[in-house]
Amino acid sequence: MFDVQAMRSGYGDMAVLKDLTFSIKDEIFAVLGANGAGKTTLLKTLARLLPLQSGSMKLGGADVSATPAHAMPSAGVAYVPQEGNVFPDLSVAENLSIGGRTGHRPKEEKLEEVFDLFPRLKERLSQAAGSLSGGEGQMLAVGRALMQDPKVLLLDEPSAGLSPIFVDTLFSSIEKARKESGVTIVLAEQNAVKTLEIADRVMVLSLGEMHLLREREGLEMKDITEAYHI
Amino acid sequence: MDYLIFSFSLMLIYIGLAQLLHIQFGLAGIPNFGVVGFWGLGLYGTGVLYVTYSFPLLAAIAAASLISAAVAWVLAYLVLQRSGQSILAATLALAAIVATLVVTEKDITGGVQGIGTIGFPFSEMANRNVIYFGFLLAVVIGLIWVSARLRDSRLGRQLIAIRDNEELAASLGKDTAAAKRMTFVVTCALMGVLGGLSAPLHQFLVPYHLAPSLTFAVWIALVLGGKGHNLGAMIGVFATFGLFDILIETYAPVPQDYALMVPNFKLFCYGALLVLIIMYRPTGILGEDAPHERPKAAPTPVPDTPVKEG
Repeated sequence: MFDVQAMRSGYGDMAVLKDLTFSIKDEIFAVLGANGAGKTTLLKTLARLLPLQSGSMKLGGADVSATPAHAMPSAGVAYVPQEGNVFPDLSVAENLSIGGRTGHRPKEEKLEEVFDLFPRLKERLSQAAGSLSGGEGQMLAVGRALMQDPKVLLLDEPSAGLSPIFVDTLFSSIEKARKESGVTIVLAEQNAVKTLEIADRVMVLSLGEMHLLREREGLEMKDITEAYHI
Repeated sequence: MDYLIFSFSLMLIYIGLAQLLHIQFGLAGIPNFGVVGFWGLGLYGTGVLYVTYSFPLLAAIAAASLISAAVAWVLAYLVLQRSGQSILAATLALAAIVATLVVTEKDITGGVQGIGTIGFPFSEMANRNVIYFGFLLAVVIGLIWVSARLRDSRLGRQLIAIRDNEELAASLGKDTAAAKRMTFVVTCALMGVLGGLSAPLHQFLVPYHLAPSLTFAVWIALVLGGKGHNLGAMIGVFATFGLFDILIETYAPVPQDYALMVPNFKLFCYGALLVLIIMYRPTGILGEDAPHERPKAAPTPVPDTPVKEG
C-alpha cells in the first residue's frame, strides 16, 4: 500500500519525523510511541495534511508525495484525527453523508455496513454530532471514514479518553471492519496492550525516529517498552 | 411618506447584506470586515458607469458587480487561506482603500463633491418609489430564500464543515480553498449588486456613503440575531437599523436641540447592544444554527466524556 522512503516531515522548518523508511502492506499496521513521538505527525503526513520536507511517498505504486490532501480520499486514504474528528454543528447523518461521496458503491449500502459496526449511530442520526459522548463521537468518526470506502484507514489514537468498555467495543469494530472490507489500517496508539491484540506489525517511534519495526508474532511487551525508552 | 419608503428600501439593502454576511461568516467562517468596500464598489461603479459613461442602469449594476467580484477574487487568492485576523485586516483595509480612492480619484468619482444624478428606474410610473421598493423586496426575499436553502444543501454542509474544521474537511476530499474562494467571490459580487441597487436610492453619491458604519451595522445585526441563523441576521437589522434609523428618527419626539445627538446616541446604543449580547447571549437572539431535528428523547447515558469541538 504505502511505500515511504527517507520521510522527513514536521511543522514549518522543524522536522519531527527524521528519515523514516518503511512500507505498509495489506495489514493492521500499528504505530506506538509516547506523547511527542511523532505518531500524529506521521499520520498527518500520510494523509498529506502535512508536507514532506524531504523523501518520497508512494501509494499503490503511484507517487503521492505532492498530492493535495483533498485528493487523498479518491486515492483511497481516509484519516480519523485524534481530536476534533467530527463536525459538531452537523448532525450524525450529515457527518456520515459528507464522507460518503467517494467510492463507487451506493451510499445506502455503506451506511448499512456502518450501522452494522456501530448500531448506536443509527439511534443518533438526527442528533448534532457535538452532543455525542466521546465514544460515540469516535464511532462516528470511524464510521464516516469507512463511508469513504477507503483502501487505507489512518486512525490516530482512537482509544484516547475513552472508558475501557468503549475501547473494547471500538477495537472489536476496527478488527471487524478489517476482516469484512479488507481495508488496510494504520493505527497510531498509546494503548500498546490493546493494539497488540489486533495488529499484524508494529512500529515504535521515539522522538521522530523509528526504534522498532516487527511482526507482532513473537513480539513481547518488554521489546516495546525498551524501544519506547531508547 | 417618501422618506419612509427610502428608509425601508435602505433597510432591505441592509437585510440583504446581512444575509450575504451570514453566508460568508455564519456558514463559511470568513470574517469579512469590508462589507462597505464591496458594496461601495457596486455603488460607485454603478454611479460612474451610469453618469460618466452613460451605461444603462442595469448594465452599470452588472458591470459594477463584476468589479466587486474581480477585487474579491484577487483578495481571496491573497488572504483567504490565512488566519481569520489576516482576512479581517485585509477586508477592512480594502474598504478603507475604496473610500480613499473615491475621494482622491475625483476625475472619475467626483471626489468630495460627489457624483450624480443616478436616474430612478420605473421613472415613467407614478409610484416609482413603491415599485422600486417592491423590486428590492423581491431581490431580498430571493437572497433570504437562497441563504435558508443553502444551510441544508450539499454546499452549505460543506461550508459548515470547512468552518468547523478545515483540515478534517480537506481530509474528506473537500477542496476547501476553492469552496471558500467561490463563496467569497459570489457573495462579494452580490454585495456589489446591492451597492448598485442602492445607487438610485441615494441618487447623488458622496464619500460619506462609504463610512465604515455600514459594515459595523451589518455585523452588529448579524451578531445580535445570531451569526449562524439567517433569520437572526434579519431580526438583527430590524433591531438596529429599523429601531434607530426608522422608528426613532421618524417618530421619536426628540427636542430639536438634541436632534443632532441622535446619530451618536445610535452608535452608542449599537456598541452597548453588542457588549450586552456578547456578555449574556453570545450566540445571538436566535442562537447558533443547528441540525433541524434534535433527539426526541434524552440520549442514553454513556460512560465517557463529551466530544471536544474542534
